[in-house]
Amino acid sequence: MKTLPLLLLIAMSLIAQGAMAQSSRYDLPIKEHLFDNGLRLLVIERPDEDRVVGKIFTDMGALNETPGQLGSAHFLEHLMFKGTPTLGSRNWTVEKGLHEQINAVEDALTEALNRSRNDLRERGVFHDYQHATSSPEIDELRTLIETLNIQVLELNDEGPMKQWYQAYGGTRLTATTEQEYMKFDLDLPADRVELFLRVEADRMQNSVFRNFDAERMILVEQRLGDLNRAETDFREAMNSLVGRVSMVYVPEGYNNDFSQYTREYQRELYETYFVPNNTTLIFIGGVTLEEMVPKVDQYFGAMERKPEPARYQGREPLPSAEKRLMWRSAVLSPRIDIRYQIPGVGHPDRPHFEVLEIALAEHLRNVMQDADIDGSLDINTRVVHTTRFGVPASINFEFILADSDQAAVAEKTLLVEMARLSDENIDVTAVAFAQKALRTKWYRTAADPNSLAFEIGHFEVMDSWKTLQPYLEARDATTVDTIRKLIGRYFIAKNRSVGVVTTAEQQP
Amino acid sequence: MKRITCWLLLVSVGQFVGAQDLTHPTDMGLPESNFVRPDPSDYQTVLENGLTAYVARADQVPLVTLSAFIRVGTVDDDKQGAAESLLESLRHSGPANLSPDEFTATLKAMTADYVVEMHDEWTEISLNVPVEDLHLAMTLFAGIVRTPGISSENISKVALAVVPEANDLQGEDGPALYEGSLTATVDRFRDLIYADHPYGSKPSGDDFDELSVADVTEFHATYFVPGNVVLSIAGDLDIDAMHQEVAKQFGSWSRQDVSKPPTIVPAVGSKTRQHSFPAEKLQSWLVFGHHLPLVPDRDQASLEVMNYILAGGHLWTRMTIETRYKYGYTNDASGFLTQKWFGPGTYDFRSYSRPEVIKPIYKNMLDQIFRIRDEEVSVEELFVAVGALTEGTFQIQYLDGYSAARNFALEYLRYRNHERSASYVDRIRAVTGKDVLAAARKYLRPDEMQIVLVGRPENLLN
Repeated sequence: MKTLPLLLLIAMSLIAQGAMAQSSRYDLPIKEHLFDNGLRLLVIERPDEDRVVGKIFTDMGALNETPGQLGSAHFLEHLMFKGTPTLGSRNWTVEKGLHEQINAVEDALTEALNRSRNDLRERGVFHDYQHATSSPEIDELRTLIETLNIQVLELNDEGPMKQWYQAYGGTRLTATTEQEYMKFDLDLPADRVELFLRVEADRMQNSVFRNFDAERMILVEQRLGDLNRAETDFREAMNSLVGRVSMVYVPEGYNNDFSQYTREYQRELYETYFVPNNTTLIFIGGVTLEEMVPKVDQYFGAMERKPEPARYQGREPLPSAEKRLMWRSAVLSPRIDIRYQIPGVGHPDRPHFEVLEIALAEHLRNVMQDADIDGSLDINTRVVHTTRFGVPASINFEFILADSDQAAVAEKTLLVEMARLSDENIDVTAVAFAQKALRTKWYRTAADPNSLAFEIGHFEVMDSWKTLQPYLEARDATTVDTIRKLIGRYFIAKNRSVGVVTTAEQQP
Repeated sequence: MKRITCWLLLVSVGQFVGAQDLTHPTDMGLPESNFVRPDPSDYQTVLENGLTAYVARADQVPLVTLSAFIRVGTVDDDKQGAAESLLESLRHSGPANLSPDEFTATLKAMTADYVVEMHDEWTEISLNVPVEDLHLAMTLFAGIVRTPGISSENISKVALAVVPEANDLQGEDGPALYEGSLTATVDRFRDLIYADHPYGSKPSGDDFDELSVADVTEFHATYFVPGNVVLSIAGDLDIDAMHQEVAKQFGSWSRQDVSKPPTIVPAVGSKTRQHSFPAEKLQSWLVFGHHLPLVPDRDQASLEVMNYILAGGHLWTRMTIETRYKYGYTNDASGFLTQKWFGPGTYDFRSYSRPEVIKPIYKNMLDQIFRIRDEEVSVEELFVAVGALTEGTFQIQYLDGYSAARNFALEYLRYRNHERSASYVDRIRAVTGKDVLAAARKYLRPDEMQIVLVGRPENLLN
């Protein structure tokens, strides 16, 4: 058994490495420049590299939406790919007139819908994307918008931003909108970085919302993709059980919302949030801060600082009792889902939850196995599609059962063990292993400039890019005492939401 | 008149636009590409036994990736089931001197990322670890490649797993049966296209009754020989020390004859036909396409450019424009050229959407296939495709030590030289509109489309 001493050696070295945590592990040579108009520029210089990763983060997302217009931040991201007067139009003078007409007709349509509300309002409980209230007047207005849109399309080159990015060697042309941010990404030859600045500054100031009604169906499409997964409905119900105030628990649009979007509301979002003092540019690769400052100034410098958009501060009221959800399903695997609210990034406890997640998962798997409960355990902090927030969210213990008859004993076993761990320390090697796993995961992230730039931007919208490195270092400083205290402080009955999924046949 | 106010705002933004530099991208004077592909000889080392390795330094973070590419795949498996059983051993048993549990524990202790994939014609084993575990990882890696733990348990496990898969196709035109998804639809397409072809051959449960540990061991011994393996090693390492380590771990491996590549018969095309798999889901999934014959080198560049313009670039392509951008039908409509090393590949087109728009999606995608066969592409389209391929996708293959070592290793395993990557940029830049038209007419076969649709019965195509 030559290998066992080797494993022992690794276990010992794990503990030793954890104990001698060095801050230099996470050194991020980020250079910052803050422009007069509030635009933030962050650069990691890698002079030997031929390419550069560029990202532009805006501090807005689903948290800033109005109920009834959920998903509108994501929709805005889609609209911002439709071009500008100088990108995508073959005759802007004529096209501009058509947009003015479309906007006027949309006003008339909104008025007609409001006027007819009591005649046409769908009083049914349920709704899907195929439903639309109508009248001859409304039909006529919708047809008119469609006719005008066709005229716009005739003057319009589709996908102009992607076209020129692709032509000049741009790759990883993506965009993402989550609860707290919208970002646009590109990886391109470093000596063509100006192309990114030219296109993104234009996108930020002059986006034209072309082909609005066709694009909203893409959101319907993406929502259907989510709903095809059996877990989605249950997970959304669990989110609404955990939170009743904070927008962080709300999905990014229901099918009913997609038909409610208006150009006017989208433009309001656009003009409120896409301002330089709410924007961060990040570059990693073959550029320097010194050369980037005048280039950024050339394209973004003329933008004026605007009123500071208010930051979302959603927080739940103090919980007063444990909440439970019973979910009977013919398609979903039986499971126990136990959730607790936890603080957001920026709170000193938050980084330790990442260590806890890994350390506790292994420990609890062994406990369940010892109790002869078959199943798989996943501990995560996912809410909707995201796992880290600058606002409070939740940690989720999801145990998928092999046998739904074991639901009660599985729940009890998990809760009893967590209660015990609020008094007794978890094994020190479990914490050391979790810390090593997190370090390795971070190295994999940092090895890819695209992922690294995302982490920097994400921290900037959650808290500050300057707290990323301390956050990583704090995980290395987690101890068994820290884990025990977190369990005692947060994993209490009043802060608990429990979901139980059983088969449809298991009626009480 | 809030609306008018809003619009006036935009108009005023338009005037403000004057202060912003809005030069069109084509007029910005962006510099010509000065990218030079790295020299593979800077990375290559060859042992006396014929094993070739590409070693690169990538020191942004303290990690190392060890990869082995082996010229063997499922198509080489004369004894059905040996390839799948070996794959199972490589994935879950590790080297013969460890038990599967010890192997799993070792990977876990290293926080390793371990991947083994076996394709039709080649196999990849990759191990990514923190540099602090490099010594242990290198020993483990060499053990996996040279002496994997092959057991009857591995064979039994694979035998159990293949049985349900063999039933997949029974659902065609019958009642609905499985979770719909694009991956499942692509699998159905491949099953159909290679139904009577070596690339589609799958072992049945009976094959495993005949299969022994000795058969799997022999399969490994035949193909896992130094001259048939190319390593790619990159990360936070010392190049000279790694060369020595490679020699230490693999130098004692005896030189052996390398098996000749298999001879693969061409595929026989079929008339266009629809294959429907009803599924009660909110979306439907569409994959249609046909065989792709072995493409000679002289046609490679024009085919690649043609595919990029038609549907391969995924973003600004004819198919995306005519389905997503103009009509909002689907999130994606793309083309996939899958070329094999020794036999017929596939050329297929994929999309998915709410069931009621599947028909117009199919029509619009097919229209683009006819269109690119009928007329030359525009100068602008050619400019975009050539730029994207030479200065985008090609460059990122050599972005850092990891990707350069990996791509050189795979190229060498397949061709035993680096001529294709050396000439790639020049070949793509030389493609003309006429070349694209010729490639479209030669390699797009609208009369041989096998159309696979997973979705609601009432919305299936006719």
